[in-house]
Parts: sequence; C-alpha cells; structure tokens
Amino acid sequence: MGPLTDGSAAAPDRGLLDGGTSSRPVIEVEALNVTYGDFRAVKDLSFQVRRGELYALLGTNGAGKTSALEVIEGHRRASSGTVRVFGKSPTDRAAVRPRMGIMLQESGFAADLTVAESVRLIGRLTGRSDTVKRVLGVVDLTSKTNTRVAQLSGGEKRRLDFATAVFGRPELIILDEPTTGLDIQSRDALWEAVDQLREDGSTVILTTHYLEEAQQRADRIGLMHQGTFWHQGTVAELTRTLPASIQFTLPVGAPAPPLDTTPADEGAQIIETYELQRELKRLLDWAEVNGVELVDLSAAPTRLDDVFRAIDTAPEHS
Amino acid sequence: MLTIAHSELIQIFRDRSALITSLIMPVAASAFFIYYRDGFARIGSLGYIAAVLVFTIAAFSLYATVVTTLAARRQNLFLKRLRSTAATDPAILSGLVLPVSVIALVQVGLILVAFSVVSGAPANIPLLLVAIAATFVMMLALGMATAGLTNSSERAQITTLPLSLVTIAVANWVGITGTESFTVLKRLLPGGSATELVIHSWNGGAPIGDSLLLVAPTLAWVAVAIVLAARLFRWEPRR
Repeated sequence: MGPLTDGSAAAPDRGLLDGGTSSRPVIEVEALNVTYGDFRAVKDLSFQVRRGELYALLGTNGAGKTSALEVIEGHRRASSGTVRVFGKSPTDRAAVRPRMGIMLQESGFAADLTVAESVRLIGRLTGRSDTVKRVLGVVDLTSKTNTRVAQLSGGEKRRLDFATAVFGRPELIILDEPTTGLDIQSRDALWEAVDQLREDGSTVILTTHYLEEAQQRADRIGLMHQGTFWHQGTVAELTRTLPASIQFTLPVGAPAPPLDTTPADEGAQIIETYELQRELKRLLDWAEVNGVELVDLSAAPTRLDDVFRAIDTAPEHS
Repeated sequence: MLTIAHSELIQIFRDRSALITSLIMPVAASAFFIYYRDGFARIGSLGYIAAVLVFTIAAFSLYATVVTTLAARRQNLFLKRLRSTAATDPAILSGLVLPVSVIALVQVGLILVAFSVVSGAPANIPLLLVAIAATFVMMLALGMATAGLTNSSERAQITTLPLSLVTIAVANWVGITGTESFTVLKRLLPGGSATELVIHSWNGGAPIGDSLLLVAPTLAWVAVAIVLAARLFRWEPRR
C-alpha cells in the first residue's frame, strides 16, 4: 500500500473539527445492553475510547462484540444504556458519519460496479472529500481501478473496504476484522496505513481474531465474554492478571529448587510467577550455587493468548 | 439520493437478467397486446387493453424489479454498506428505486402513446395519470414489502409471482367482465378499482362522480401498501 498522505487532499484540522472539546472521549458507552428476544447479547457494557487511541474490542465467539460494535456504528439501536460518538448519538448519521469511517466485517459492495465507482459512490456518501486515485493508491488497488468488484479476490475486496473506510481521512475509523483474508504483505501495508492515520490524529477501534495484532497495536483492550468485559486495560494490565511461567528439567539426583514447582510432561517442572525477573534470577542463582544444570530452561511472559484461553476455564457470568 | 440512483442505473444496464425482466419482457408483452388489440377490444374494450398494459409494466418492470433489486442489495450487504455512510434511509431507498421507477414510467408512457397512436387517444388524460400514479406507488410500496419477505434475488422469482399474477388477473377480470357483478369484491381487490379508473379514463363516457368514487379504494390500497412496506421491509439479512 502506498503513502497515506500525498497532499492531494488536505487532512482535516482535528482541533477545529472537535470544536475545542478534544478532552472528551470520542466514544462513550454507558451501561449498554443489547437483547434479542430473551437473549442478552450485551450486558451492562461501559467503556470509553479516547482521542487518538487504538482500542481493540476482543472476545470469544458470541461474546457480544459485534452487537456492541453495531450499536457504536449506528447500525443497531441499544436495548438500554447510552452510546455517544463525538458526543452525539451514533444513529445521527448526518452529524457522525462524516467523521467516521467504517470497515465492515463483510464486503457489501455491488458486484457490477468497478473499484473506482464503488469508492466514488461510498466516498461521496460519507460527506468527506478525497480523491479516488489517492485512496486506491493507499491500498495498492490502482491497477484495479476499472475492474468490476465481482472480479476481485477476497483480499482485494478487503482492501477496497479499507479504502472506503479511510476515504477523506476520518477522525474515527472502525475496523471490523480488517486483516482477515489478507496476505502478510497486505496486512503489513494496512497496518502501516493505520499507523499513518494515527499519526494524523485518527482514533481507531478494532476487532480481530489475530491476537498478536491487538497485542502489538492496541493502546487498550476490552476483552469480552458472555456479553460483558472479562478484562479491560492495556496489554500489560491484562497479561498481569495471569502468572508468567518458567520451565526446566532437573538432572537426576539434583536437589529440589527453593521455589514452588508443578510437574509437567516428560519430567519437566514449571514455576508460575507474577514476578518473572525476580523468580528467574532466584532460580538461576540457586542453580549456580548448587552446580545444577537446568535442562531446556525457558521463561515466557504472559501473552494475550494466555489471557484469552483463561476465559474457557473461568466460571460463567450470571 | 442521486449519487445512489446513478450507481443503480449503471448496475441495471450491466445486469442482463435485470434488463430482460424490466425492459424486454414487459415491452414484448405490451407489443403483443397492441398488435392484437382488435381481438382484445372485442372481449373487453380499448380501456381494458390500456389497463392490462399499465399493470404488465407495473408488475414486471416495477414491482418484480424492485423486489429483486432490494433483496439482492440486502443479501450482499450493499444496503448495510450504504447505511454506513451519511446518507439517510429515505435517501438510500429513494436512490435505489428511482431508476427502476423512472424506467417503468417512461416505458408505460411510451407504450400508451404508441397504443393511442394506433387506437385513438384516451378520453380523460388527467384521470389516467392519477390511475397510473396510484398504481405505481402501490406496486412500488408492495415491492418494498415483498422484498422484506424475500431472502435473495433468486427467491424473488417466486415471491413476486403471487402479487404479479393476482394484479394482472384482477385487471383482466375487471376489464373483461366489468363491475356489474361482484362490484364490491372487484373494487376491493388489489388493482381492481385502479383498473376501472384506467378503463373509464380511456373509454370515457362514465360520470365523473363514478370515477372519483373509485379513487378512494385505489388510494386505500396505496395506503395499505405503504403500511406493509413500513412493517415488512428489512435492511439486513435475517441472522
């Protein structure tokens, strides 16, 4: 994908657009509930997304993140609670949509329109100004300008989707599983474009099944389970909720280490700790003093995957 | 609205099946009725032929195409895409149905002009325009309602059949047998009173009071169709 800024369309002055209220969160969700008949898809969800932040809304399948996101996008009405985007109701399209770009989970383009016609159509309807040429350059689809959407590959359709979302450099971009179906080069290029937008001051809300993307990119993460937050915070705050692990195998006849261990497969032992550095040093010091070789020693910090997996073992929310 | 209408027009002209359904089939059927007008006039009247022409265009060019278009656009999430922009729902719907409606209006205009050239002009053009306008609004709204019950463009071939056939059958029944018998039933059926209005406007001779009386059930069907459209139309596929 090409550079996001080429001077062909001026980036909006965020301060002016905001009317001088830049301290107000871009998204405010308060006690949001979404119900389908008797089923509560979202339960009392509350969070805020600050200006310039990349907020990842993650969760297990059926956790309620799509329902929550649809309310934020203005595609669905809340059963109860309030959602404000730029201080307005997200269903107030005239007020909100010119400032918000949405990349849907599924394409939703007219098969018989060309790539350029699709971008032009959606671009004009957003109320933002930009050029088709620049936007197609961003997603590296310039060579497909006159190709009908029906003839695009799945990855190209995702890039077209991203192109319409970033048309006119919106202040808020909602990316619903943006990299699904993209090859690694296209993924890298998409994130490069997102980084550029964030440098320009855009706020991003993201859902993804690729946890490493959220771990690398998100300023904060809302981890949903059964309709509400399981955890919310920075990656460090989330991973801090679970212990890191040190794994090793002791040679036959070695003394027991001075730390609580649990046995693992093939004679290995595991130490689970919230203080990885201190405990690892303590183990290494002990091994040196006692002349013990710690076979296959490894120390792993807690990853987002571990936090995610811990949901499965958690008791059900009432 | 015009931006959406422009893109919709492009899509109609690039979609061969839509072109055949909305342009070629109704024109071919109309040409058949006009060519054999003497035979049809004997079993009904010239007004009957005019009514059949109006309902053929309204059923195939307008109603069936609206259902197919809206179901297809919803199925592939194009409606959701449009609703992700700053465009309002009325603007989106208007933009989507405007090209189809204009094409159908132009068709019915040209076909009735051709019919009047070979068989004589209608007796009451304003009344004819009222009847056509009411019929088109009713079929447009019924198209939106039927689209709400239609999951895909393929299913539209089935879901549009009942109403298309009923309205054309009613036009034929009223046109051939008149309204001396089963008067109330014929006038309360969808398109019944509108058919009678077209016949009166084309043939002439009916007291204006009788014709105005027919406007009430015609407009009542328009109202019913609009209420059904508001209740049944869906923007997103069923989950």
